[in-house]
Formats: sequence, structure tokens, C-alpha cells
Amino acid sequence: MTDHRICTRCVMDTSDSLIDFDDVGVCDHCRTYDQKIAPIWQMGEGRDDELATIVDRIKKDGRGKDFDCILGMSGGIDSSYLLYLVTEKLGLKPLVFHVDAGWNSQIAVNNIERLVDGLGLDLYTHVIDWQEIKSLQRAYFKSGVPHIDTPQDHAFFATMYKFAADNKIKNIVTGGNYSTECVRNPKEWMYHQSDSMQLRDIYKQHGDAPLKTYPITNILWHKVYLPYFKGIKLHRLLDFLPYDKESATQFLVDNYGFERYPQKHFESRFTRFYESYWLTEKFGYDTRKVQFSSLILTGQMSREEALMKLESPAYDPNTVHLEFEYIASKLDMSKEELTECFELPNRTYKDYANQEQLYLLGTRALNFLGKELGGKR
Amino acid sequence: MIGVLDYGVGNVSAFLRAFYLNGVPAKAVSCPDDYESVSKLILPGVGAFDSAMEKLNNSGLRNKLDHLVMQENTPLLGVCIGMHMLGRASSEGNLDGLGYISGVTEKLKRKIDNEVMVLPHMGWNEVSIPCDDVIWEGINLKEGFYFLHSYAFLPDQSNSIIGCSVYSESFACAIRSSNVYGFQFHPEKSLSNGIKLLTNFAKI
Amino acid sequence: MLRPRITPCLLLRNSGLVKTKQFTDDKYVGDPINAVKIFNEKSVDELLVIDIDASRLGIDPDYSVIERLANESRMPLCYGGGIKTVRQAERIIQLGVEKVAISSAVLESPLLIRQLSETIGSQSIVGVLDVKKSIFKGYEIYINNGKKKIKGSLIYWIKAFQEYGAGEILINSIDRDGMQNGYDLELVKLTKKFITIPVTFLGGASSLDDIGDLIETFGVAGCAAGSLFVFKGKYRAVLISYPSFIEKYELVLNRISKFKGHF
Repeated sequence: MTDHRICTRCVMDTSDSLIDFDDVGVCDHCRTYDQKIAPIWQMGEGRDDELATIVDRIKKDGRGKDFDCILGMSGGIDSSYLLYLVTEKLGLKPLVFHVDAGWNSQIAVNNIERLVDGLGLDLYTHVIDWQEIKSLQRAYFKSGVPHIDTPQDHAFFATMYKFAADNKIKNIVTGGNYSTECVRNPKEWMYHQSDSMQLRDIYKQHGDAPLKTYPITNILWHKVYLPYFKGIKLHRLLDFLPYDKESATQFLVDNYGFERYPQKHFESRFTRFYESYWLTEKFGYDTRKVQFSSLILTGQMSREEALMKLESPAYDPNTVHLEFEYIASKLDMSKEELTECFELPNRTYKDYANQEQLYLLGTRALNFLGKELGGKR
Repeated sequence: MIGVLDYGVGNVSAFLRAFYLNGVPAKAVSCPDDYESVSKLILPGVGAFDSAMEKLNNSGLRNKLDHLVMQENTPLLGVCIGMHMLGRASSEGNLDGLGYISGVTEKLKRKIDNEVMVLPHMGWNEVSIPCDDVIWEGINLKEGFYFLHSYAFLPDQSNSIIGCSVYSESFACAIRSSNVYGFQFHPEKSLSNGIKLLTNFAKI
Repeated sequence: MLRPRITPCLLLRNSGLVKTKQFTDDKYVGDPINAVKIFNEKSVDELLVIDIDASRLGIDPDYSVIERLANESRMPLCYGGGIKTVRQAERIIQLGVEKVAISSAVLESPLLIRQLSETIGSQSIVGVLDVKKSIFKGYEIYINNGKKKIKGSLIYWIKAFQEYGAGEILINSIDRDGMQNGYDLELVKLTKKFITIPVTFLGGASSLDDIGDLIETFGVAGCAAGSLFVFKGKYRAVLISYPSFIEKYELVLNRISKFKGHF
């Protein structure tokens, strides 16, 4: 039985079973940041030239069109602030792209409306067939694996890539960023959501009616074929500018009527339940540790504050039963059926067909070519 | 524990749901045994006066209700027809009311200056209050509540009136006499104001 | 002062939400339960949910969905679609729904309204009239998603519904459905003289201004809209919206003051 041990610099700990500490107790997440990410990212400072090159390319590709890129918008702070920057500071004309998987919170919907109206932009929404995503989510609950938010995440990316490919849009802009996400969820906690072999196998074993419209992508298609053969590139523009989460939030609150979320991932009711309750209580994986660790490393949160916050549960014990009931009811399950899923033995991604080897190979290649820093482990 | 009288009239599940989502223990009272451990009561009501009174009188709940409210001072909240039932009688019907609050129910005026007013009074309307009552704490009176009725309660004592609304004329939309409250509107269907009112009642 | 109700209208087809244009050409809008939950959080005045296939296909309303929608609604909910008997209406009311909207069943037999008023009460009955304008005959009434015409003029049916004891009338313009070109104000003006119970108009609203025009023309009425609260922009992107209380209050105050007449 391993003792619980926590990093001396961030707050990742042995609930990440592959964590590794050096002789001063600093974990490998921190070391990856120091050695691989920080030198290139430079906290978004001094990267104006790189940014200008990308922006020029986007403008050129979009000349004469109604919009020059699509921007994936969840209503969360990252994509909202990015939308503001891209429109007001970089002079781009994005089509705001939102994927509705049936779990939008009122705050998310409201924030999307305010940003789209405030910036005078066009919105495009793709609504995933609810019956299908419901079936997928039920299958994931029955599979016993921890990464049960894959149906939503996979759909977001697949839909965006498909839309770009179908409409010959060369540039996709997303809010992924090192400032708040330099430490990533361990694969053990959240396996690659784009692994379609895993998704299909889980659905084959635990799903029901065949999926007809649910959008499925695969890693080779969107990481190799689209960028290298079709010239469709993904840009994480927040990495090229200083990005402080709190001041970005306050700015949007003051200028666009943005409404703060009570917790992270509150944009999706499902994700909130999943990360605050299901993942913590069933598996002992608390994603706040990952989020806070990123903020600690990038100087936006102190370790003391993080530790203090981690002392209380991620969910409200007085009302979580209401969330539990809502999730069950929406997925056509009784409370008892969802509880049975909760009590299933914990499985891992290795228990189902997967393309992990391909991802490992790919990450090595991309790291070698300098096209990706760090990577999920 | 709040007891919501379930005598075959009114949206009992809406009350129970509103209480449940706000952490207030509540249950339906459909037979005399269900009064067990109940410390406050809700009398829902919808439809016609006689129909509601008859159903209440035949439900087996009436005797204990009278005792709890009049002898033991159990707080009671009557809604819509439930409010009309608190009085002596209603011009809508022939049966006697409960007589918990002194007054009668009359139809809202239909004609104003030769124009025919639409009845029932249906929709959101604001409330004005003559003085503070704990029941109104934290409530946005301008936003008001949802109304759906053609009759209104006329209390004998004006100091029973704790809230008014205006439709064609001013009428008492909220009354109180000691432990008994009556509301013309539907708190169980009035969003956050309604929930606040119900939870305020639970806290008295 | 009684405020005009501003009511989102959601259409159900195969347990999912859709939005139509002139009663055809549907676009998928998503999960009804999440939509109702969001509308509840946006504090809408009331909600109208209509199953557009149940009557035509002769199937029962989906009680399981209705119950879950009622569970999420802390404001009045009106359900319509496939209701033909008193027993069905009673069951729906017991699930926590305030009103039932009925069209073909009461047009084929108006006596049903009286029967319903004896059990669930007048206040819970909404008589629905789907209307289409014809060049020579004025407004005509249709059922079965606008496919079958019913005898009797618009005015005839308004009076009949009122006489038989309906609590509310819903007038739905097929021509304006999903077109977002404003309410049919001629239709609105035409009905004003004859209506003595609460009425709701549906079909054509594209902005709060259109709702304002309706209020200015009729006074206090239910202003229902589908597309307006569910789509955004030129790509008809699905996004649920609804005015804030302040926006609603100002609109209503402003436009009611311009209405000449009584409510």
C-alpha cells in the first residue's frame, strides 16, 4: 500500500498512480513544465512575431469570405476571452462555433449570447442528436471506466473538424492554453477522448441502437490528414499572449456582461457532476488538483490557497443528491440504476480496445518535430 | 414537516417538488394518518369552489384539519381556491367555507366603464403590501406572482389584508389571520418569488 | 398591473425538440428537458410544449417526458398534442401540468370542453386554433399539422370555445410559423372584438419589437414565440434566449401605454 504523497511545489499527488518525485519532492508534471513547456511558451510573452504569422495566414485564407476561421465556443472563460481577443485585438472574423450536447447550463447559454451580441458576430450551432449521445453516455457509465465525459468531448472536436473539412475552412481556433492547462489530466484519469477505437468498443459492449449521426473522428484523420493533406490547422492563440484567468474574467464581466461560473466546467451540467462528484467519489481522482497545479505553476494561485480549497469536497454535499437524480432522470435511468453503475468495479481504458500505442508514437514524433510540448501521460 | 393536503384538487406535486428542491421536508396528506409529524399545512386549490369544498369535506381530512388549525394553531397556507375556502362562503357556489378567516369571496368586476374585462385574471401581476410580514422577506414585489382566478376574497377586517394586487380594481391577494395565511396567486408556479414565499412559510 | 405573458413555445417530435417553418421543414433543436431547465432558470412567464405528431398519428401523449418537464418547471406549463379524452387530460394535469391545449379533439367535438371543465376545470383548458389565411374566405381553421381544413369561421370557433367553457384560446398562424416576419396583426385586430377570455397568439415573432407590436395592438395577451427564443442569427443557430425581467418590464410598460382600449 503506497502512502499518500503530494508534490512540494504543486498539488498533484499519488492519486495519479504514475506520479514520480525527484529528490526534493517535486513531481514530474512540474518538471515537464519547466523543461518542455515554459521555455517555448514563455508565458505568452515575446511571441508577437509568431502570433502575427499565424494571424496573417488566417486573414489570407479567409479573404473574400464571410469569416476567416471558426472558433470553438463553450461559453467558458477561455473560449469567451479568446473570442474577444481574436475579434477586437487581432482583427479576425471568426464564425462562433458551438456544439450542443444537451447539457448546456443557463449561464453558458447566456454568456455565448452576450459575447456573440457584444462582438457583433455570427453563431453556428451543431446540435448532437440527444437520443444518441444519451445512449453513448449510458454505455460509458456501464463500462466502469473513469473517462465518461468522452461522448461530449469527442463530439465537440469531431463536429468542429467535420464542419471545417466540409466547408473548406482552413483555420480552427480554440481556447486550449498552457496558462490554465499546462498540467494535464493523467491518462489514467481521462484517457484520450479522440480515440475512436475505444469509443466504438465501449459502445459495442454496453450500448444499444447503432449510432447513425453521432460524429466520430479519429486521431490520424484530424492530427495528420486534415493538417498535412487538407491544410486545416488548429491554433491555440491564447498561448501567444499573456493570459491571466482572473483579470480576463473580470474584464469580460465589466465589458460584456459575462457571468462568472460558480465552479469550473459549470458550462455543462454533466461535466460539473462528473468531475466534482463521480470522478472524485468513485475513483478518487480530483481534477481540481490538475487545474490548481497549472495555476500554481503559472503564478496565478498559491499552493496554500489550493491546499485550502482541496480540503472541502468538490461538490455540495447538501444538494448533490438532486444533481444525481437529474443526471439519472435525463439519461432515462432510475436512481438505483445509476447507483449500480457507481458501484461497478473500476475499470480502465486498457480493459477496452484502444489505440494507445499510436498515440504514444504520435506524441514522440510531434515532440521530436517540436510541434507539441509535453503531451498527455 | 410540511403537509400538503391532497384531497384531489390542486397541483400537489408542484408544491412537493418546490419543497424538495429547497431542502424542506414535506409530504402529501391524503388520509388522517398522514397528519402525523406535520407541523405546518398547505391547502392547494384550483377549479370551482363547491367542487373543492365537497372534495375536502369527503376526503376524511376535514375534522382533523379544523382541530389543528383552530385549536392547535397549526400554521396553514391556502392557495387560490384554497384561499377562498378559508372564508364563510363564495358567490361561486352554495357550500359553506371553512370559516378560518372572516370574509366571503365574490366575483371580480367584469365591466369597467362599459368595457368587458377578460376573466379569469391570468398571468403575472405585481403585489403591494400595506406593512411588512415575514412571509414577504426577500421577495421582488414588482415581479410579483402568477395569478389565475375569476373570484377574490373580501375579508371582513381590513387588517387581515397583507397584500393587494390590481385587476380592474384593487383586491386582496394575500390575507392573514393569526396562524392562517391565504394567497390568491400560485406560489408553486411563481418561480423564485414563489419558492421564497414557501420557504419563508416553512421557517415561521 | 397584469402583464402580457411572454411565452416560449417548444415543439416535440419523436421525443426531441424541433422547429418548423409553416408547419414543415423541421430543424432539430435538441433535448426538451434541458431546454425546459434553461427556460426555468431564465424565469420565463410560462411555457408551452406541443407534441406535433401525437394527434396526427393517433398516439398517446408521452407521459414520461411530460412528467419530467413538469418536474423542471417552477412556472406554469401548458402541454398540447394527442389529447382526445378526459382521462388523458386528467392524467396530464396530475403530473403537474397547469393547462392542456387541445385542437382537433375539440374541433371535432366541442362538447369535450364542457366535459373537461367538469373534471379539470375551465382554467386548465386551452382551445387551439391553427389558422391559415385564404384569399377569399378570410382565416380558415386547420388540424393535422395544417393538412385538414375544418368547417366554420375563425369567429365562429372563438365564440364556440368561449361558450363551451374554455379557459383560454391559443391562435396559431400557420402562415407566419417560423417565418419570423412579425405576428399577423390583422388577425389580432380581427379577434379583439370577440374575445372575452385570455388569449395567446403564436406565429411570426422575430424580435421583442414584434412582441411590443402585439401588445400595442391587442393589449394584454399571451405573446408566444418559438423561433425567437430558440434560434440566433442568420444561420439559425440553436441557442436558447429570453429577455431579462427588466427588458420585459420596460417593453411591456412602454407598449401598454400606447394601447388604446381595455384589457
